[in-house]
Amino acid sequence: MSGEILLETREVSKRFGNFVALKSASIAVTAGKVIGFVGSNGAGKSTLIKVITGAHAPSSGSVHVRGKEVHKADPALMRALGVACIYQHSSLVATLSVIENVFLGREMRGRLGLVSHKAQRVQLQEIMDDFGIHVDPDVLVSTLTPVKQKEVEILKALVANADVILMDEPTAWLSLSEVSNLHTTIRKLTAANKGVVYISHVLDEVFQICDDITILRDGTMAWTGPEADIDRPKLVNLMVGEALGEASRAAVTSERRPRGTGTVKLATDKLSKQGVFHDVTFEVNAGEILCFAGLIGSRRSEVVKCLFGDDKPTSGTIISKGGVKTFGSPAEAIANGICLVPEDRHTEGLCLSHTTFENTVIPSLVEVTNRGVLMRKDMDAMCTRQITSLNILPPDPAKVVGQMSGGNQQKVLLGKWIEKDPEVLILDEPTVGVDVGAKAEIYAIIRKLRDEGAAVIVVSSDLEEVMTIADRILVFSNGEITTEFDAGEVTNDLLIHAIGGGESA
Amino acid sequence: MIMLKLQRNLADLALPIAMALLCIIFTIAEPAFLSFGNLSGILRQVALTGIMAIFMTYVIMTGGIDLSVGPVMALAGLAAYAVYYGTGLPVGFAILFGLSVGMVVGTINGFAIAAFGLPPIIVTLGMLSIVRGFALLMGGPDLHQVRDEPFYTFLGNGRILELPVSVWIFFGLAALMFSVEKRTSFGLMISSIGDNMRAVFLSGRSVTKTVCMVYVLSGMGAAVAGMLLSSQVHTASATYGEFGVELDVIAAVVLGGTSLMGGKGSVIRTVFGVLLLGVINNGLNILNVPVDQQLMVKGVIIVAALAVSEWAQRVKSGR
Repeated sequence: MSGEILLETREVSKRFGNFVALKSASIAVTAGKVIGFVGSNGAGKSTLIKVITGAHAPSSGSVHVRGKEVHKADPALMRALGVACIYQHSSLVATLSVIENVFLGREMRGRLGLVSHKAQRVQLQEIMDDFGIHVDPDVLVSTLTPVKQKEVEILKALVANADVILMDEPTAWLSLSEVSNLHTTIRKLTAANKGVVYISHVLDEVFQICDDITILRDGTMAWTGPEADIDRPKLVNLMVGEALGEASRAAVTSERRPRGTGTVKLATDKLSKQGVFHDVTFEVNAGEILCFAGLIGSRRSEVVKCLFGDDKPTSGTIISKGGVKTFGSPAEAIANGICLVPEDRHTEGLCLSHTTFENTVIPSLVEVTNRGVLMRKDMDAMCTRQITSLNILPPDPAKVVGQMSGGNQQKVLLGKWIEKDPEVLILDEPTVGVDVGAKAEIYAIIRKLRDEGAAVIVVSSDLEEVMTIADRILVFSNGEITTEFDAGEVTNDLLIHAIGGGESA
Repeated sequence: MIMLKLQRNLADLALPIAMALLCIIFTIAEPAFLSFGNLSGILRQVALTGIMAIFMTYVIMTGGIDLSVGPVMALAGLAAYAVYYGTGLPVGFAILFGLSVGMVVGTINGFAIAAFGLPPIIVTLGMLSIVRGFALLMGGPDLHQVRDEPFYTFLGNGRILELPVSVWIFFGLAALMFSVEKRTSFGLMISSIGDNMRAVFLSGRSVTKTVCMVYVLSGMGAAVAGMLLSSQVHTASATYGEFGVELDVIAAVVLGGTSLMGGKGSVIRTVFGVLLLGVINNGLNILNVPVDQQLMVKGVIIVAALAVSEWAQRVKSGR
C-alpha cells in the first residue's frame, strides 16, 4: 500500500568505545518513495546503513519493520524481513549467468533437493515482466554493462522478496545515459510500492530521483524532509558547513586559464592504438588544466595509459621535453616528469593494507634511501609535509589507508605524486566516490599545482567536475577527439550536446 | 579501556603468550623441559627449518610461495661435496658453490614468476621435481661421506658459547633479514608488492627485480640449510630434504602470522612461529606422546593457533 511506512529507525545511536558514530537517528522508508541519504564521509551514513541491514546492532534506539520492532537483528534476519542492500562494488559472481546469480543462495528445489531450473526461470520471467526490467537470463554477468549488472542485483533483491532496497553509490561507475536508465528502473520499483534508499555523493542525482532527503553530519541528522523543501546551496551548507560550502561554490566561478603559460609540456601527434583509439593529437601547457571529457568507454583511460608508459601505442608519437619519446614503463614516464593518478585507487593506486607513510614514499624510494637503506628522517618529513599541506585525515602517518575515507585515500594518492614534483600530472576520474567537502579540497590542490606551473590533465566523466575545474576541454568519443572548448566559453548544454553527439556515431 | 587496549595488542602478543603457556604446561608436566640442554636442543632442531622460513617469509610476503626448497637442500649438499672432493679446492669454494647452486635455482624460479607472470605455486612445484631429479642424477642412490673437513663439520656440529653454530646462523640471519625488512627500500617493496603489485608498478618501481630477488634469497636459504644438514649427518645425499620439508617451513611462516595472501608479515613473527613449532614437537616428545598422536595434536594446534590470531586481528581492526 502506498504511503505505508515499511522500515523505521527510532532514535537509533551507535557508539564504538568512546566514539559516537551515530546519534539518535530517526528515519522512515515509505512504500512508493525514494529517500536519499547524503553526507560527507564519516557523517554516519555507512553506520546507519549497517544498522538498517543488521550488520551493526544499535547501542540504543530501535529498528521497526512494518511497525513491528525487530529484536536481535542480524543480516540474515533483515534480509528475511525484506531489506536488501546493493553495494557500490558489485556482489555478483562475474563468471556465473544472470539467472544463477539471481538465485544464488536461494535456489528453488525440486524433488531430491536438486535445483529446479524450470521453476526458477518461470519466477524470474514473472518478476521481470512485473517490473519491466529485462535482462537475458543466460548471459554471463561479466559480459553485461555496469548498469545491467545493477539491474541484476535489483532482480536478485526482488526474487528475495525485498520491500526495502538500499542502493549505496549505485552510479559510481555509470555513464550519464546509464544513470538515467537506472533512475527509470528505480521509478518502476517505487511504482510497485517498494521503498528505496538512495545513497550518493552526486547531488544532481539526489535531487533528480529522491522524494525525501536526510542529511547526516558528524553522526547526527542535520536535516530531513521532502526534496522540494531544500535547494542545493542549503543542502551543501548543511552537509559540509558554511566555510567548505563557500569554497565549493567559489571553485565554480574561479578564473580560467586556457593554454596556461603557453609552454608545451606534453604533446601527441596522431597517437593511435589499433582498435582502441586513433589520431589523438593534442598538447598540454604548463599552468593549465586540460579536461578529457566524454562518456565512460570513450577510451580516455586507454590514451592516458599510453602517455604514462603503462601501455604501448601502435602508431603516432609522444613529445615530451622537446623530443619524441617512447615510454616502455611507468618508470620511464615518471623520469620525464609525467605522473598518473589512476582511475581505481583500490586496485591501481594504493597499497591498502599499508600506511599513509608507506604509500607516500613508494614513488620516491630512490630519493629517501642511501644505498638501499631507508632514511627515516627524510621519509617522516616527506609524509608530514603531505599530511599537513593536503589536510589528510586522520593526520596520522601510521594510519592504514584501507581504513580511511575515499577522499582522504585520494589525497594520499595525490600526495605521493606531488612529492615527485610532476611537470605533467594526469588524474583519471579524481573524485569518484569522494564526498563534496573533500572534492572541493582536491580541486583546490589541483589548482594550486597548476598555479605552480604544472600541466594538468584531468579525465572526468562528471560534467559538474569538468565545468568546475577545466581551463580547456577535449571531448572524446569512441577513441577520437571530436571537439575542443575553452572552458570560459562553454555552457553546460553545449558540452552535454558535444559529449552526447558522439554517442550515436 | 584497559581491556580494549589489551584486546588490541593481543594480535601481536598472541604467539608469545601461546608459547609461554605451552612452556609452563610442559614444565609442570616434566621439569626437565626447562633444562638448558633441552632448550638448546629445541633450537638446534628448528635451526634449519628456521633458516629456510626466514627467506620463505619474504617470498610469502610478496604473495608467492616456494615449494622447491627441499630438493635444493639435497642439491646444495651434493654440490659442496662434489667441489671439495672432486676438485681439491679449499672448503670455502665448496660452500660458495653450494650457495650459488641454490641461488641459480632461485633465479630460474624468480625469472619465470616475475618476468613471465607464471603462478609461483606451479613454477616451484615444477622446480621441486626438476631439482630432485637433477640431485639424483648427480648423487645417485648413495650416501657420500663428508667427514674429514674440520671447518665443514664444525658448521653443523660445533658450538660457540655453548650454543650450536647452526643456531647462531639462524639467529644471525633472522636479525639481518629483519633489519633488511624494516630498514631498506627492498623490505618496503616486498610487502607493498604483496599488497598491490600493480600500484607499486604504476609508482615507477621495478617489481620484476624485487620479486626475482626474493626467490634467489629463498634458494640461497635452502642451500645454507642443506649444507648444514649434510654437515650435521656427515654425509651428502640426493634424498635429503624429503617431501614435507617445504610444508614445515610454510607452516612456521603462516603460524607466525604472515598472510598467505601477501602484503602482511614479518621475519620476527616467523622466528616465533618456528620456535612454537619446536616447542610443541619437543614437549610432546618429552611427554612420551606416540608419534601418531603427536602428528594429530600438532595439526590441531596449528589450526587453533591460526584461528586465535585471526580472531585477534579482527578485534584489532574493529570488524
